Parts: sequence; C-alpha cells; structure tokens
Amino acid sequence: MKDLSNFNSLTPKELEAMDRAAGWSLSALELAEAQRQFRRMGRQPARGELETIAQTWSEHCKHKTFSGPVLYRDGKRTKKYKNLFKETIVKATRTLNKKWCLSVFTDNAGIVEFGKSGKWGLAFKAETHNHPCAVEPYGGAETGVGGVIRDILGVGLGAKPVLNTDTFCFGRLDRKYRLPKNALGPERIMRGVVEGVRDYGNRIGIPTAAGGLYFDDGYLLNPLVYVGCAGLIPVDKIEKRVVPGDLIVSIGGRTGRDGIHGATFSSANIDEETTSSAVQIGHAVNEKKALDVLMRARDLGLYNAVTDCGAGGFSSAIGELGSETGARVRLEKALLKDTRIEPWEIWVSESQERMILSVPKAKLKRLAAILDAENCEYCVLGEFPGDGRLLVTHGRESVVDLPMAFLHGGVPNFEKPAVRRAVAINSKAPAAPKDWGKALEALLAHPNVCSRHSVITQYDHEVQGGTVGKPLQGRYGDGPGDAAVIWPQAATLDLADFSGFAVGHGFAPAVGRVDPYQMALHSVDEAVRNLLCAGADVSRTAILDNFCAASPRDPLVMGDLVQAAEGCLAASLAYGAPFISGKDSFYNQSRDADGKEYPIPLSLLISATAPVEDVRRAITINFKEAGNPVYLAGVSLRGLGGSVYNEITDTGNNAVAALGLKAAVKLYAAIARAMRAGCVAAAHDVSQGGLAVTLAEMAFSGGLGARLDLSAAARERGLTAVELLFGESPARLALEVVKGREKEFLGFVKGLPAAEIGHVKEEPELSVSDGGSRLFSADIARLKACWRKELI
Amino acid sequence: MKKPKAIILRGTATNCDIETFNSFKYVGAEPELVHINQLLAGGRKVMDYDLMAFPGGFSYGDDISAGKIYAVKMARLAGDFEKFVKGRRPVIGICNGFQILVKTGLLPENRGNAQVSTLYTNDCGHFIAKWARLKVNKRSPCIFTKGLPDEIDLPIAHGEGKFIVEDRRELAAITAGNLHALTYAENPNGSMLDIAGICSPAGTCFGLMPHPERNFFAWQNPDRPAAAREAEAAGYQFFKNAVDYVR
Repeated sequence: MKDLSNFNSLTPKELEAMDRAAGWSLSALELAEAQRQFRRMGRQPARGELETIAQTWSEHCKHKTFSGPVLYRDGKRTKKYKNLFKETIVKATRTLNKKWCLSVFTDNAGIVEFGKSGKWGLAFKAETHNHPCAVEPYGGAETGVGGVIRDILGVGLGAKPVLNTDTFCFGRLDRKYRLPKNALGPERIMRGVVEGVRDYGNRIGIPTAAGGLYFDDGYLLNPLVYVGCAGLIPVDKIEKRVVPGDLIVSIGGRTGRDGIHGATFSSANIDEETTSSAVQIGHAVNEKKALDVLMRARDLGLYNAVTDCGAGGFSSAIGELGSETGARVRLEKALLKDTRIEPWEIWVSESQERMILSVPKAKLKRLAAILDAENCEYCVLGEFPGDGRLLVTHGRESVVDLPMAFLHGGVPNFEKPAVRRAVAINSKAPAAPKDWGKALEALLAHPNVCSRHSVITQYDHEVQGGTVGKPLQGRYGDGPGDAAVIWPQAATLDLADFSGFAVGHGFAPAVGRVDPYQMALHSVDEAVRNLLCAGADVSRTAILDNFCAASPRDPLVMGDLVQAAEGCLAASLAYGAPFISGKDSFYNQSRDADGKEYPIPLSLLISATAPVEDVRRAITINFKEAGNPVYLAGVSLRGLGGSVYNEITDTGNNAVAALGLKAAVKLYAAIARAMRAGCVAAAHDVSQGGLAVTLAEMAFSGGLGARLDLSAAARERGLTAVELLFGESPARLALEVVKGREKEFLGFVKGLPAAEIGHVKEEPELSVSDGGSRLFSADIARLKACWRKELI
Repeated sequence: MKKPKAIILRGTATNCDIETFNSFKYVGAEPELVHINQLLAGGRKVMDYDLMAFPGGFSYGDDISAGKIYAVKMARLAGDFEKFVKGRRPVIGICNGFQILVKTGLLPENRGNAQVSTLYTNDCGHFIAKWARLKVNKRSPCIFTKGLPDEIDLPIAHGEGKFIVEDRRELAAITAGNLHALTYAENPNGSMLDIAGICSPAGTCFGLMPHPERNFFAWQNPDRPAAAREAEAAGYQFFKNAVDYVR
C-alpha cells in the first residue's frame, strides 16, 4: 500500500492503481469525490478512513446500480430513471400501501403481520452469496446461511428464525464445455454448497424447508446461491432506537482476518487471481449462542437496538446504528481470534457470528449475566455519543475520524446507459414428438425437474416441529411440495393457535433470455401460485426480489434489468403483493485466461410468503382418493420459449406466453374460496416440464393413477398438443376436487377457465388423451423411477 | 391433580428444546428449560423434578462426537443423574439426547456406568432427515412405548445414528431383556439389529434416534390430510405415557 500522505493530489490514473492494489472496487470518480471531501477538510485521509468509505459506498451496501440513475433505450423510445429501484420495486409497495406491512425496505428484513392474535410479525429476507461460493463453495454457503439468519436476528429488536430457504443455480453436471483453469467444476461447487448449508443450518436448529435447484451452463463459472430466512417477532419489538450514551456491545464470534474486503470483493469480476481469503469462516454454534442470548435479552428489554455484522463488519454495523448519534469505538477492546491484525482490519473484518447491541449502561450487568449463562463471548467496544462524529481509535492511534454525514450522505452516483436486447422470436407450430410417453420420461429425468430428495434429506427440514407443508410430501413422503407451510409453535409456544404461513418461489431465467419483462411476471405468478397450491391466503402475499446479473457496465445487462424491474412493478400491483425487502447482486461474470467473458443470464428469484389461516387444512400435491374428479384451471397458451421441453428437443419455437395478470388474479381468488370451503383435495402448479409433469407428480406422489382427457381444457386458438402438454405457459394449476363437492366447486369458478379433465383411478396408470387422440398411457411406478434421480 | 415437573435439559446448540417443552406441556406436565450450566452452578437440582428429557440438537456442535461434550459436562453431577435413573423416574433422550445417554453410560444400563456402545456415523456418511417406519417391540418393558400399534412412523434427523455395541454379551442382554423397544423396518443408518431405541431394564430410561415430538399431531405427517382425522399422532403417546407413569 502506497503512503497516503499525498492522496489528495493523486491523478485519476494513480487513484485507479491504488484502488486495484487495495481491493476497494471503487471507481476513479468515487475516489475523486473522496479526494474532494478530504481537501475540503484540509487534510489527508487515514487508511482506515478510505477502507470505511470503500465499505460504505460499495455496491454491496449501497446498491448503487439499482438505486442509481439509468437512461433506458428501446429502439427510438427512451426513458430516464432517477432511481430505478424507487421507481419500480418501491413504487409498487408505496402504491399498494397495505396496512398489514409493518416494516418495509428500512430494516434488515421486511415485516408483515402474522396470525390472528395481533401479537406477532413475520420477518422475511433473502440474500445472495454468489462470489464466495464460486471460490470456496462450502465456506461461502455456510456464511451465506449464517448471514441471512443474522439479518433476521438483527431486524427490529430481533426475530426468532423459524425457516431457512435456499435456491441454487449451478452449471449443468453433464456440461459439454471445458472449464478454464481457475474454475471449480459444478459437481464440486454443488457438493460444497449443499454440505455448507447442511452443516450450518442443521447445527443452528432452523428448518431448511423451501427453495430450489436450477441447472444451466450460464452458471458454470458463476454459481448463484440465494439464502433466505423467516422469523417471528413480537409487534412491540419492531422499533429500535439508539439512545445517546448507550454502550456498543459486540456479542458472539471473535474478530479475525477472515473476510477482509468481502463487501468490495462482491463487486469484482472473478478471475485467475481471485483468492478465497475474502471468504469468511463460519461457526454455527457461536451464532446459536447469540440467538439464544438475544431472544432472552430481547424479552427482558436489555438493549435499545441491534444489528448484525455483515458486509463491512464493525464499520457497517456500528456506522448504521450510529448514523445519527455518531460512535466512539476503541478497537483494542475487541476480542480477537488473530493477534496479527491491523487496526483497520479489525474495523472492516467480516468475521462471522457477531451482533452489535446498543445497551443502556444500567442494563449491561443483567445482559452480561445472560451472556455468561449461555457461554456467549462479548466485548464493550465504546459508546454512541450523540455528537454525530465517528471516532475510531486503537490505543493512541486514530483509525477513523469523520462526520457520519460524509459517509452516509456523500455517496456519488452516475447515470448508467441501458439498451433493450434484440431477440428474434419464432412462433411456428412445434412438431409433435414420436413418442409422447418417452418425451414425458425425459422431462421427468431432466435435472431441472427430477427429484431433489438427495439434497433435501441432508437438511433437517423438520426441526422446531412446525414444518406442516413439507418439501417432500404425499403418501410415501417423497412427492415434490410446491411451498413450505410453517406452524411456528417453537416461537409462539401456543399449541392452540393454528396460524401459519407459506413460503414459495418463482424463478424463470430461461424465459428472461427471451423476454425479461415476462420473466418477472411469470416469476411473481409462479411464486403466488405455489402459495395458492399450499392453501395459503394469496390476497395477503408479500414478496422479495433478488436480482442477480452480470456487469452493469454492459448496457444490455442494464436493459434486461430495467425490463425485469418494470415487470416486477406491474405484477406486484396486479397481484396486490407488495415487495417488503430485496437484494441485488451484480458483477456475476467471470473471465478465463484468454480473456473470454462468461456472464450469467439475468436471474430474478421471487420469494413469496402468505398466511395460512389454519395449518391443519393446508393442502398437498398428491392425489388422495380414487374417483375424485381432476380439474385444470387456467388457459393454456402458445409458445415453448424458456421451456424444459426445448432443452430436450429444440423445436425452434422460442415464443414466450404473455401472462394475463387480471384473469390470473380473478382465477386464484375463486380457487382460494373453493379451498377454504374444503372442495379441493390436492393442488399442484404447472411449471417446469409443463402439464404432463404436473399430473405425473400428483399421481405418483399419491400412488394413484388417473384417466384424463384434455379436450375440455381452456386453450388459446391454434395451440398444439405439444404446447398443451409440455409448454410452460403461466397461471395454470391442476386440482383434485372432492367427490360430491363438484357442484359447489363449479359455483366458485363459474365463468372462469376451470375444466374437468377426468378422474383419479385406483389402477396405477396415468393415461392422457386430447379429444379423440390418445397421447400416452404410462405406469406411474415407471414415471416415478425416471423422476427419482440421485443428484448428489 | 398435581402436574409432574419435567426438566428439559439444554446447553449450547440444543435445538429441539422448545418443541419438546411444548409436547410435555400438552400432555399435562409442568416443563422447565434448564441449561446444564444452571445445574453445574447449583441453581437447579435434578432431584427436584419428576421427569427428565434430553432433547435433540447438536449440543456443543457435536464436536469430538455427537453428545460427547454434554456428557463430559454431566460427569460432575453423575451421582445426581444416577440417583434419578435408579429411582425409576422417567428419562427420555431423543436423538442428540440418546447420544448423550449413550456417551454418559446411562444407556445401555451397566454396573459401572461405562460407555459400552456408541452411535456412530451413518453408513451413508452424512446427515439424513426423512420419515422412517418403526416396529414397536411389544415385549419391551419400555414405559414410553406402551399402547402403541405394531408399527409407527416417525421422522429421523441425524448424522450419527448407527447403534453399535462392541461386546456381544451386551447386545445379547439387550435382546434378552427386550430393551430394544423400537427397531427400524428399513435400516437407514446401519444400526446393529436395526435398533432405533433402547431402554433400561426397568423401562424408565429410554433413548431413541427418531423424533416423537415431530409426529405429535396428525398434521405434522407428510401424508395429509389423510392422516389428519384425529388430532394426536403416534409421538403423543410417548409423552403421555411418561406423565401417566409418574401419576
């Protein structure tokens, strides 16, 4: 590191060189802004100050791209955004203005009302941990899980985590490409990530019960690891406020040299020189201790505020809590796991399992007693003075001495150009397969459709005794559930309160390659439909957006982002489902030794939650009883764009069906009423693999067959049988209706596209025809055998 | 009627303490969560309770081996625990709790309270969480499994559940006394004789790998609502039996 005594007079070139050497990932313009500020103060910066600025201004902490100005161009049409995030995602939430949203966008997680008692809020948050998992899959996944759990522990005065979710994207295990030297193979990454989630989530005692796995060669060098967590919080513990004079107390893990520059590393392209030292080392048991202490101390009112140490470590956590009061920090008080550590490294280290509390002096003793009783380490780092000044020292050495206003107000932002990608659409009628049954078998065995049991059974998905809607369900406990339904008895301690909540996901990057706007619509729709299939009250859906993209310096990447964000706005408004929190991750792009770039496709994970009024009545996907009629709800539309079928047989048809938002909302409301009345025995959404896969899964999960004729099914004019059976047009679900309740059911769906297509049969055979022509007839044991693959 | 007092023992990373607490409360006990540190500091005494439970989890991270550190911490109070068990007050160890009972030597019961068996890493080499069908040994003296049907379903969730005994005579004593109260219909981990749970000859101290507190209510079953006709499920009986026994 060059000496900083002439920082204020460095040229832009010299600043760039300094940034590369230090690993800050700041642009020359941002460093010039820092220069300007220090010139105004009439002095040169200290290393610790530049480190603090790099953390605070990082993409990771400030989301410069998404909340920055954008100029979007679509042919001749242009649109200017001052703040893309505020004008799309936030706008939806503000417009909907739901009174059951208790906290949105401001805290570590969003919070909505939970249950009938009026006592509880449900906090929900999803994060990404992509870069760490690319270089150190096991450690990256562990600390990803640990990090998002701490978001829930650090929301309000602390929520109790009751559910973990995880969604991963990897390269195809049967990839045809040769990997560059620096890259780990997808098998190695998948194994590491799954084991990391397993070892961390299981040890800390939170069920991992929802999520997904997605394979595509776009993720060969840049895997995506989305981790989510939901927790329960008493409504009177949502407000937090640092009081001047409070002590800064760090509890949980010690500080070390692991995870220096994690926040800034996440904005760098991964290349041959990337090392794993930026990845933190996880220790689940330390976090469990902090969790146990927090829940007890919270209920006794022993602290005024809490937040987690995530990206940027102390510098971000203390900086955030003290953004109004200022903070006086004595780094020599920190408990360390490594003595060879520089003061500025203590300040920005991202060592795991640390929570920062704002503790009134008079309550420290009682807090310390709980910490000691739970064997949880802690240190008092200083206090929040109330003068708005951030003063960090180590012994007599000054590390940071800046006004808070500089850090939090000073971040400069620059307009990014965005251009709509041109995609040629081909909507010619696809050819029929030679053998429908064989095509279904191939779809069931496809990595994006086949059973996930080999991964799911490695996670303790039932700890806390509240996983009522399971990831593996049905007669044999092995069918693919659409959404997790959680009965948080371990948080409420009330076995007479049957309130629960469902969590589901929507994810369609293959659709996004053709049409990013429709991708957003389809993803929100899939998430909502998954919740509906579990019997949740979808009129109260709350959603999270998690964007992952390649480099925002590419106008086409920005163009995709703008379209998807506009899609989020439209879908959120139509479904009445506000965004309550979210996250974005850019620079998911790698370069090999020859300088070839590998960008990921734009990836939007929608995580959704909705209340389940009575968990005892939650619905599962498996056929329940022979003789029950089967219905298909929704209109089947043309187009095979983004479908799994296109991966098996390239039909050349890449058209993506346009989702009719209003019709979908109306249909779901009617089905929800039918479910509440008890008319529906099973429900399963039509998603990857299409209708045939949906029906096969319902059949073999229940050990029952069905004889079906699709001729009555609502469809777009000119729809081919291939599109009907294997297309993935949205807003469709298959329902098993209780025998004898059909009339009542038809009353609920009157005038809506819901048609009877046949009956559940005792004989273990699924036979499907369309009008006069029989498409296939297959033994359900055979179909299940194709589907039940060991992925790991 | 006076409610039996149940001590639910916890420590760092005991994860199933609250649902175990809830289960005991539901069947009419008065449960209390007590950290092993509270016992060691003398703030609580085991002999003040009528029932004892070691819940599941990853006590102390399962470092060294599952349940080992917790068992070592208990060593200083070995006399109290022995008195509790010898006094035939009901003790149940679930999953990590079973591992603790085995590592302390309380199960299988033997003269010197020595560790004569272990629960070793599953044959598959990693943690597994799934539902398992279990056979109930009707001839067992186990008080917890009384009144259960011949076969029940409970979820398992463990990495170290392979029950092994080094000394053949110890194993013979288990089978001769019908101490193997629960066995797997399909062995998921490589346990000797498919053993899922064993009890003391008196039947009052019982350790098992499956989780009865996770199939306590019918709606916790993966096959639902088919299973939801009645509120309580197989796991309920384990807790109910313990409370009935004390009464």
